[in-house]
Amino acid sequence: MISFAARRLSWALATAFVASIVAFLLFWTIPNVDPEYWLGGGPKGTNETRALAVEKYGLDDPLPVQYVRLMKAILNGDVKCFYGCGSLRSAFLEALPVTFWLVGGAALFAIATGVALALFSVRHRGRWQDRVITNLAAAAYSVPSLVLAAVLWAFAAYKWRLFPEGGYVGLTENPLQWFWHLLLPWIAASLPFTGAYVQVVRASLLEAMDEDWVRAARAKGLSEKRVIRRHVLRNGLIAPVNLWGLDFSHAFGGFALYVEVIFELPGVGLLTSETIGGLDLPPIIGMAIYLAIVVVLTGAIVDVIVAWLDPRVRGSGLAT
Amino acid sequence: MPAVLARPPIRRPGATASASPAALALRRLRHDREALVFALLLALMLVALVGAPLYATLVAGTTPAENHLTDQVTVDGERVDVVSLDGIPIGPTWGREYFLGADENGRDLMVRLLYGARTSVLIGAGALALTVLVAVPLALAAGYFRGRADSLISRLLDLLWSFPALLLGFLFASAINLSGARIGPFTIEAGSKLIPVTVIGLVYVPYLARPLRGNALALREERFIEAARAAGMGAVRVMLSEMLPHLWTTILVLAPLLFANAVVLESALSFLGAGVQPPEPSFGTLIKAGLNDVVVSPHLLLAPSVALVLLVLSLSGVADGLRRALSPHRALGVDLVHGQ
Repeated sequence: MISFAARRLSWALATAFVASIVAFLLFWTIPNVDPEYWLGGGPKGTNETRALAVEKYGLDDPLPVQYVRLMKAILNGDVKCFYGCGSLRSAFLEALPVTFWLVGGAALFAIATGVALALFSVRHRGRWQDRVITNLAAAAYSVPSLVLAAVLWAFAAYKWRLFPEGGYVGLTENPLQWFWHLLLPWIAASLPFTGAYVQVVRASLLEAMDEDWVRAARAKGLSEKRVIRRHVLRNGLIAPVNLWGLDFSHAFGGFALYVEVIFELPGVGLLTSETIGGLDLPPIIGMAIYLAIVVVLTGAIVDVIVAWLDPRVRGSGLAT
Repeated sequence: MPAVLARPPIRRPGATASASPAALALRRLRHDREALVFALLLALMLVALVGAPLYATLVAGTTPAENHLTDQVTVDGERVDVVSLDGIPIGPTWGREYFLGADENGRDLMVRLLYGARTSVLIGAGALALTVLVAVPLALAAGYFRGRADSLISRLLDLLWSFPALLLGFLFASAINLSGARIGPFTIEAGSKLIPVTVIGLVYVPYLARPLRGNALALREERFIEAARAAGMGAVRVMLSEMLPHLWTTILVLAPLLFANAVVLESALSFLGAGVQPPEPSFGTLIKAGLNDVVVSPHLLLAPSVALVLLVLSLSGVADGLRRALSPHRALGVDLVHGQ
């Protein structure tokens, strides 16, 4: 178990390292983004500011030297930006809990409703309840969370004023307000996933129901409820939980971006889009690297948890 | 993943022994009423998009960019301002002009929606083509050469896969949007629509290449590949004429899903300002523009939202139908969650 965790975490770190190189090359060299031009004040720059930028940032140095210098700055939190900005690292660390609650809540909501509905569907398999749920799930799966977030915010929060228009209240400040501010974002972010999970969990449960051990459990006279809870559910949840882990480790760079912009939640998504909107090169790279670290680490942690739940995974390869 | 087509043809009651797998699949598809409804819906929408310029000139008599701030339109025999004196645009007239209403500049929303959807769908189609063009050779090479080539390609795909598509797209698109890109002989201007096409196309490569690689690896073990190699066929020929035909099933099933994902990703990118740039309409820019005027003009938000949902719904309906028709006894072990 420990060796699996170590392997998985080192793969995550390697991924983050490669990502940092790619981000550096992408922003620094491949597009004809000219760091000298951008760091020298962009359109407002003059020859002097550009010369100053070359000197200040050491743009004449070989690329590996520049890479190491930039990464040091990013990890120490003192990313220099030409237009002047606060510490990116502390801004990121401040924003992280907001996104954590948004993503975590949406993830719990999606898997709980997905599994509950799938169970209900499986108990009534082949009957009208099953058909209604699977069709509703397919429909929910087809509503992009961008559309859902936009419509929910515009009508329920902005027009009808049933919910707060935006912003965030800390959990420790006022738990009720915290819940109230996050409820719509959770629904908007999780509903498409709920739709997907109902289908996946249902299929996986039905497959598990055909297994020999389930027939054996029935044969020894267990009630249907007990059979499902003890024998079907445990095995039927392995595949969906894997998928769930991937989905929600991706969420930090996925729905968090636009859900936070729409609901004005001061999380990393809002911070990212503000940073990118600032057209300032070093903080954009810094943001990309912070997010990469968060995404690969959550992915790794989720995989380790899944491996802890299901010993069969431990022997398999590193990735996914 | 097992090869989807590498098995004897399925005999069904009513199927003749001589029917090809494609003919069988087509027959199953023809009897799948649900899939046909979605296919019809999709076809109607595509026809509407192709006919957008015709609608604009012949029916609405305007262009997507033309402002009509001071114009009037006849509704139920009365002349009404397109944009009222206090700046509130007209809602849906359900008539020839301003069928879905106007926006705050007096532009015809139906015309803008048709053109916007066209842009989004074209970007999605371009991105899908790019994904297929990159993913298929990678999967074929990994499957054919196995060993080192395979593990290199797989690691590369895993790396791309470990990052969320939206974040990758957002960062790539923003980087290129700063001042365009010059990659080898290709130049992309800042603000060009090729940026979302390239970015979305590349970001989704692993989502197609990974399942295809699995198929290709399984195919490589088949006897007919051995036979082709023994007959002296070169690597490229084996890949193209022996392996590729067996990958089409997977490509065909995944294509509508990837297409839907690409359109949704485009809308998210444009919404965040990294895709299509306003005033050019697309799903993302229209939704963004409609977001703040919802109190007085809800049609501006609802029209693009409903259109996008219908498009995604019909695409996933078609994808389900194709999957049922092409591999009736097992679902492909692939799942996509859009926009992520």
